[in-house]
Amino acid sequence: MRDQWTDRLSEYLDGELGAAERAALEGHLATCAECGATLAELRRVVARAGALEDRPPTADLWPVIAEHIGVVSLPARRARRRISFTVPQLAAASVALALLSSATAWLWVRPAARAPVATTPLPAASPALSLVTAATYPDKRYAAQVADLERALQRGRGRLDSTTVRVIEKNLAIINRAIRDAQSALAADPANSYLNLHLAQEMRRKLGLLRQAAALAGARS
Amino acid sequence: MLTTLTTLAALALQQTDTTVPVRSGARLEVNNFGGEIAVKTWSRSAVRVAASHSSHDRIQIDASDQAVHVKSEGGRHGPGTIDYNITVPTWMALNLSGVYTDIKVDGAQNEVTAETVQGEVTVLGGSGTVSLKSVQGAVTLEKAKGRIDLNSVNEEIKATEISGDLSAETVNGDITLLQIESANTEANTVNGDITYDGTIKDAGRYRFSTHDGELRISVPERANVSVSVSTFNGDFSACFPVKLTGKTKHRFNFTLGSGSARLEVESFDGDIKICRPGQVGKDEHDKDEHDKEDE
Repeated sequence: MRDQWTDRLSEYLDGELGAAERAALEGHLATCAECGATLAELRRVVARAGALEDRPPTADLWPVIAEHIGVVSLPARRARRRISFTVPQLAAASVALALLSSATAWLWVRPAARAPVATTPLPAASPALSLVTAATYPDKRYAAQVADLERALQRGRGRLDSTTVRVIEKNLAIINRAIRDAQSALAADPANSYLNLHLAQEMRRKLGLLRQAAALAGARS
Repeated sequence: MLTTLTTLAALALQQTDTTVPVRSGARLEVNNFGGEIAVKTWSRSAVRVAASHSSHDRIQIDASDQAVHVKSEGGRHGPGTIDYNITVPTWMALNLSGVYTDIKVDGAQNEVTAETVQGEVTVLGGSGTVSLKSVQGAVTLEKAKGRIDLNSVNEEIKATEISGDLSAETVNGDITLLQIESANTEANTVNGDITYDGTIKDAGRYRFSTHDGELRISVPERANVSVSVSTFNGDFSACFPVKLTGKTKHRFNFTLGSGSARLEVESFDGDIKICRPGQVGKDEHDKDEHDKEDE
């Protein structure tokens, strides 16, 4: 669950909070592991985004992402060497960047364990890798995690009641459908921050259900 | 033949009824494989465990200053089906778990944790941390306050008269949150509708998300809230005038009052409707009545 400070972390990172709010947030951070983790993740995202700015623009996607997710005055921000986005924007950028980097690897080294959610035919490699590709093919680590959990579930399914297995499979299919819907939508509108976040949410949800199911199967052993 | 078997089964049923004294602050922990755990409260500082079970099962009740543990041993026959009727002091914290088990709690005034795989979880009361989970069963909570976490996979979630932080998540089911007093509420499902009828408090955070379903969200008059609406393939409507800003293909915003609270509503493939409190609840009531008529 997100608390009242979650959406203020970006302002905190950018030094935009007043002294009182800053002190209150730092007090909160001392006791809220979730906000601490989110803040650490945001710092990583900002660091990655900052690093991206300094790269030669071989595939200059960032301006497109920024434009579509509503980042204003990007040149001015670059001039100040300062990044200030909202949490959803950072999250969307994080998803896009993570997927983009993994998709590049995907094109060169196709993973052995392919996630069942990737259903669209793989497009030909292109120097200007599009966000469509990035959004359509999940992160390698994600695919590996899904594959591991699916194997664990497969191993343990004999220990689960058949009705429970059916329910889990039915709900995984529902989530897979949602993932495919989001991927198809992203293919048409790749920089849409809502769709990126929605896809990420459904992918996380699939992992969560697989973990829950694998734990249930393991608990019966 | 059938009569004989039924008679033998009845003869094999056994009743356990034990009452143990408890000290203030002790918690109840019950684990049941199949059957039911029903907990109600009384004013005595004692726990009464009444159980209906097979003669193969032995009920174990271990009481200490800190906790009363209730579980069963099925011996070589494995765990059986046991129906527990347990009475506890109102102040007692509850930790209830099962596999093929329905869980019912009535009148709790402390923390409640209930988790089952195949079974419904129905709780009236609860304070502090209230965490209810079922894989394949509806989760229902009424009249609770504190930090509420409701989770199902294949069924609906209903919460009524809740005060405090509220999180509700399912995959395949509706989420209905009525008469909610909260500054921090989050609900999401993949295949189902979400109804929220409650407060929008200043500086509060509210997020409702579904993939394939409708959202019906109440926003009180004089609420100070920044609303973000996202839908890929749905329509938006409001029961009162709103001025949309930041409109893009699938997303837009509007602000009411000072906009200090934040409300995010997202439906990939469903309509989003924002109305006044009472109106969304009424819609839900009408829908229930309509469903009953259909049945």
